[in-house]
Amino acid sequence: MAHAHPISADELKQRRLFGEIFSAVMIVTGMLFVLLTLLIRPESGLLARLAFGVAALVNGILTWRKPQKWLGTLPLLYGTLWAVWGLQQGISTPSLLGFADFLVGFFFLVGGLGNLAEHHPHGFIGTHLISMDHKMIGKQFLTLGLLMMILGGGFALLFRWQLAYPDKPLPLIGASAQFLESGEPKTGMDKLWMEWLQKDESEQNWLAKNMPMGAVAPAFYNSLFTMHATIMIFFVVMPILIGCFGNFLIPLMIGTRDMAFPVLNMLSFWVAVASGVVMLAGFFVPGGHAAAGWTSYTPLAANAAWTGVDMGQVLWSFSLIVLGVSSLMGSINYITTIINMRAPGMTLFRMPLAIWSLFIVAILLLLALPVLTSALAMLLFDQTLGTSFFNVAGGGEPLLWQHLFWFFGHPEVYILILPAMGLASEILPVFSRKPIFGYRAMVWAMVAIAFLGWIVWGHHMFQSGMNPRLGTTFMISTMLIAVPSAIKTFNWLGTLWGGSIRFTVPMLFALGFVSMFVIGGLSGIYMASTPVDMFIHDTYYIVAHIHYVVFGGSIFGIFAGLYYWFPKMYGRLMNATWGKVHFWLTFVSFNCTFFPMHILGVGGHMRRIANPLQYDFLKQFQGMNEFITISAFVLGFTQLIFAVNFVYCMFKGRQVESDNPWRANTLEWVAPTPPPHGNFMATPTVHHGPYEYSVPGRETDFVPQTEKAAVPAGH
Amino acid sequence: MPATAASVSPQAAYEWSSRDSGEVLELDHFSGNPPPPTPALPYGPGDDGDDGEAESRPVGNAVLGMLLFLGTDAMFFAALIGAFIVFKYGALDWPPLGQPRLPVMVTGANTVILLASGLTMFQAYRRIRRGAAAGLQKNLALTALLGTTFLLIQGYEWIKLLGYGLTLSSSVYGATFYTLIGCHALHVAGAVLWLLVVWWRATQGRFTAARHTAVLLCSMYWYLVVLLWPLLYLLVYLN
Amino acid sequence: MLDWLPENVSTYGSRIDFIFHVIYYLTASVFVLVSATMIYFLIKYRQREGRPATYTHGNATLEWVWTSATTVAMFALAFASKPLWGEIKQQRPPAEVEVRVTGKQFNWQILYPGPDRQFDTADDYQIDNDLHVPVNAVVHVHLNSLDVIHSFFVPQLRLKQDAVPGHNITAWFQATKPGVYEIPCAELCGFGHSGMKGTLYVDTPEEYEAWKLQTWPPAPAAEAAPADSAGAANPL
Ligand code: HEA
Ligand code: HEA
Ligand code: CUA
Ligand SMILES: [Cu+2]
Repeated sequence: MAHAHPISADELKQRRLFGEIFSAVMIVTGMLFVLLTLLIRPESGLLARLAFGVAALVNGILTWRKPQKWLGTLPLLYGTLWAVWGLQQGISTPSLLGFADFLVGFFFLVGGLGNLAEHHPHGFIGTHLISMDHKMIGKQFLTLGLLMMILGGGFALLFRWQLAYPDKPLPLIGASAQFLESGEPKTGMDKLWMEWLQKDESEQNWLAKNMPMGAVAPAFYNSLFTMHATIMIFFVVMPILIGCFGNFLIPLMIGTRDMAFPVLNMLSFWVAVASGVVMLAGFFVPGGHAAAGWTSYTPLAANAAWTGVDMGQVLWSFSLIVLGVSSLMGSINYITTIINMRAPGMTLFRMPLAIWSLFIVAILLLLALPVLTSALAMLLFDQTLGTSFFNVAGGGEPLLWQHLFWFFGHPEVYILILPAMGLASEILPVFSRKPIFGYRAMVWAMVAIAFLGWIVWGHHMFQSGMNPRLGTTFMISTMLIAVPSAIKTFNWLGTLWGGSIRFTVPMLFALGFVSMFVIGGLSGIYMASTPVDMFIHDTYYIVAHIHYVVFGGSIFGIFAGLYYWFPKMYGRLMNATWGKVHFWLTFVSFNCTFFPMHILGVGGHMRRIANPLQYDFLKQFQGMNEFITISAFVLGFTQLIFAVNFVYCMFKGRQVESDNPWRANTLEWVAPTPPPHGNFMATPTVHHGPYEYSVPGRETDFVPQTEKAAVPAGH
Repeated sequence: MPATAASVSPQAAYEWSSRDSGEVLELDHFSGNPPPPTPALPYGPGDDGDDGEAESRPVGNAVLGMLLFLGTDAMFFAALIGAFIVFKYGALDWPPLGQPRLPVMVTGANTVILLASGLTMFQAYRRIRRGAAAGLQKNLALTALLGTTFLLIQGYEWIKLLGYGLTLSSSVYGATFYTLIGCHALHVAGAVLWLLVVWWRATQGRFTAARHTAVLLCSMYWYLVVLLWPLLYLLVYLN
Repeated sequence: MLDWLPENVSTYGSRIDFIFHVIYYLTASVFVLVSATMIYFLIKYRQREGRPATYTHGNATLEWVWTSATTVAMFALAFASKPLWGEIKQQRPPAEVEVRVTGKQFNWQILYPGPDRQFDTADDYQIDNDLHVPVNAVVHVHLNSLDVIHSFFVPQLRLKQDAVPGHNITAWFQATKPGVYEIPCAELCGFGHSGMKGTLYVDTPEEYEAWKLQTWPPAPAAEAAPADSAGAANPL
């Protein structure tokens, strides 16, 4: 087997395992398709389904435990066809069945590719698409997240425009002012709008339906912020923080070759992609996309008559159920890897805090997501099968959804912040050239946050009519979370104290993270106080809080991490000057965007309203809303600097001349750059903790964990 | 790109070529077990001497992964059960007027059947641990049989209930019933399928006293399904 | 920042504002403390040739200090908030005026019990979005919803309470200043959520009497009856 570069034995095994799983799945799906089709006899595509079933069945049997290059690749063809057909059916009919078809077809597509990859492990497909290598899978999640961020951010800018200039057409694509008054078209756009809007509802195009005359319609506004949040949380922050950094860092930092279950790992990415496609398809179904907020409160979300959204709402639930499967695969992988596969000497309390955070987060995911899944299942049944879990009419209970959702939802928000805390805790010591302050305290603080996160969900429901006594207990537990958070904040400060601080780009973002998280956390205290929350609940005060913790926290953490590990990921450095420009512009425009939202909130400005001018007491805030929008656009376009810098340096950036450009201790910097399959030339042995910087009486100010050097016992 | 230590070993090449010869590969055999731990080097100064820890792994990856999966599954049911309790004890009268009562006796018998299958499963595992392949096959078959019976009886009861007008949409009573019990039934069905695969492989003599992780995993899942049931029976069927 | 609070016109509102201010000063000082320290460290300990970083792994006493300090602060805050919360949500003063407010996409249905102060009687009076209450009277608002969750919000009263279908929730307030205030719906309730609002008229006693007079005109037998409109409005 002469290859460009050698391939690891276990990768062969992995690919082979996947081949077998896939054949088995083909056989099972084949049988199921034939059986179900004969049983249900769907009026549409009966023959097609039969044909597909038989094909899959035969194909599966023929390839069972035999490497068949062409036979094994065949599913790629009809899988793709099936996926496309299903998607098309699902959107036009619209039917959930179609999307189920899509998922099946999509898996066949992946399977077919997998088979190709098995025969050309070094082709593009093998190394970039169906990779079983944790580093590539991490990069895949990163790409997914960044691309989705363009969407999520774009939506934000779109509805920000509406908030600043309510019902005013967008520049360029919108109709001209004169046209709106006089009625006779001036610009070319006007003419277009004229003819588009003359058509009747059914054959109007997407724009005319959602943005008549180029202004965001109220219903569309609701889908915009709903999808903005859904995408940002489930398809940006989670894929990047957990999918990308989790995958890339865990095996490298604990010194092992790969994840415990590489096949599961690979699948978890493609399942995420599939769920993403389903989520985005929602924009094209009749009735528009989900519009009940990312919290999807019932009975609004449960009943199309009330949202005015039918399929979109269904797809929202469906897609998140699928995504749940992906995260599940991920978290099982992470926990198993961390427990079982640490390098010799890598005791639990020698693990970098980033690994601790990912470990804890994986456990949170493992326990929180299934709760969301069953809640979503009930919601889906309410939406499609006429059950009435959340509809009062049928004896249902609307508040049950809120309890289930937030029982997942609050742990979820800590899922969004803990990894960012972990990343910051890696970066601060390196660039202060100083051990992290209070390592164990940091670990236990994260454990405490994760634990308390389970008993505070009621703080989202203070005004929901929930028993006031419960409200008080939830208030107390919520406020207690300030304590472990205090421990973390002050230990970060302690790490800076007496350091020798270098203001590199990752460091700047890490510092930004700490300060912005503190603002976001402190605003949380206001809401935790039940009487105060009675006033600021569902106002922009909450929106300000959200974005300080989740943009100032999670996203700043993400940027810090990307600038820091980019050299290890791609073997090149990102341009530091542009990095600093990116940081300062982001930092300033971020605060200009979100700080004024506190003031709006104090003024009583409700969230989720499409047009503040409908309220007399909000008219005074319009100027502020415009300012926020302008800052938001600056913030948005600033990210393009990052985008360009990132993509350019991936290919053209300065090559790193050392495996350890930051002179850091953790294991990933011992590995070659970029790390090959199997990561390490030989399994490393760990001799002390990860934060031994500036140990007195050494010429170098860092001690890699693999180095047998004199370090005070206990570290 | 620098070369890696883990280039193709002859043994790997052998496995590659041998893949047509129907040679069996145990699941745990290549679901990414950790690298052979290199013997810990003598402690250097400043070591607190617990360099050994990472090697001592109480359970293998596959088993640990399964345990974690069972954890999630439990949480999944916990949420459904929670919802059920809210409705049951929140309702004025349960089951609501005009809704049929559930078959307590038959299902009671069914419960016994399922519990029995748990025992046979345990037997199966004990046998293979002693390397008694025959006993393994017999007990696996028995377990699958009991499981199927359980499903059939349930299916029959469901058809009757549907006849009495208890449907998903008839009331939140019906909704919770079919969702909760249905989810469990699906689990049993899946478990039986898996069990059959394991049984079939057992008939091929694939398991030995040394290597039978597949049996262990399947049995773990089966226990969850079995042990969940009495709880559901108490909650859903008995008042 | 808190100067932006809408003028407060309810009895408990001022006490909510008080706690708001307490938290404001607490968190503000924490923020100043944290950021000042950070900036100071960043300047003082920036990289300089020949000054190595101090090698330390932490300090147990300090950990205890900030842990317990925060704990104390938080419990203090919790117990400052608790009684007020109880007053607002648990021990309501007896009602002087009662109304039923029912959310319905996208209006507030207001139902007045009428002169007999009994609901579900002939003289009940229902109207959309117009809520009249006398100043300084304890008003009980019985909230419910016909479709989805709405939220009854009057910024100037600092009052917000969701209206949940299938739940009868009673909120109360005592307005201290006559005036006209908006009642926005604060919970996303569909495409009409933005713009769903009612109007709260806090009337002076005279205004209130006048309003009652034209809503429930006395029987025509009585001389005082303002002629035609009364005849029309009154069934007798
Ligand atoms: C990353 C995500 C994240 C994080 C970390 C947090 C952290 C916290 N959140 Fe946040 N929260 C959200 C994401 C997050 N939240 C989102 C998305 C929503 C909106 C959901 C929706 O409705 O759409 C929300 C909503 C929300 C509400 C509901 C508001 C409402 O709808 O009425 C509440 C109420 O208590 C709350 C409280 C808190 C608290 C107390 C913390 C604490 O963990 C903060 C602790 C940190 C600090 C306190 C700062 C550091 C500490 C010190 C410097 C020590 C000294 C401090 C003191 C002495 C005070 N949050
Ligand atoms: C991670 C979470 C996250 C992030 C990052 C953001 C980012 C932003 N959010 Fe988001 N927001 C939420 C989570 C988030 N939001 C949530 C949970 C809600 C509540 C929703 C609800 O009520 O249901 C909300 C609601 C919300 C509202 C309230 C809507 C309403 O209630 O009516 C507003 C209003 O201004 C807003 C604005 C913004 C803006 C201007 C940004 C900007 O920061 C966006 C700027 C970023 C970009 C424009 C992207 C630029 C592109 C890149 C960086 C890609 C780089 C590409 C490559 C490298 C290829 N958001
Ligand atoms: Cu009613 Cu919002
Ligand atoms: Cu929360």
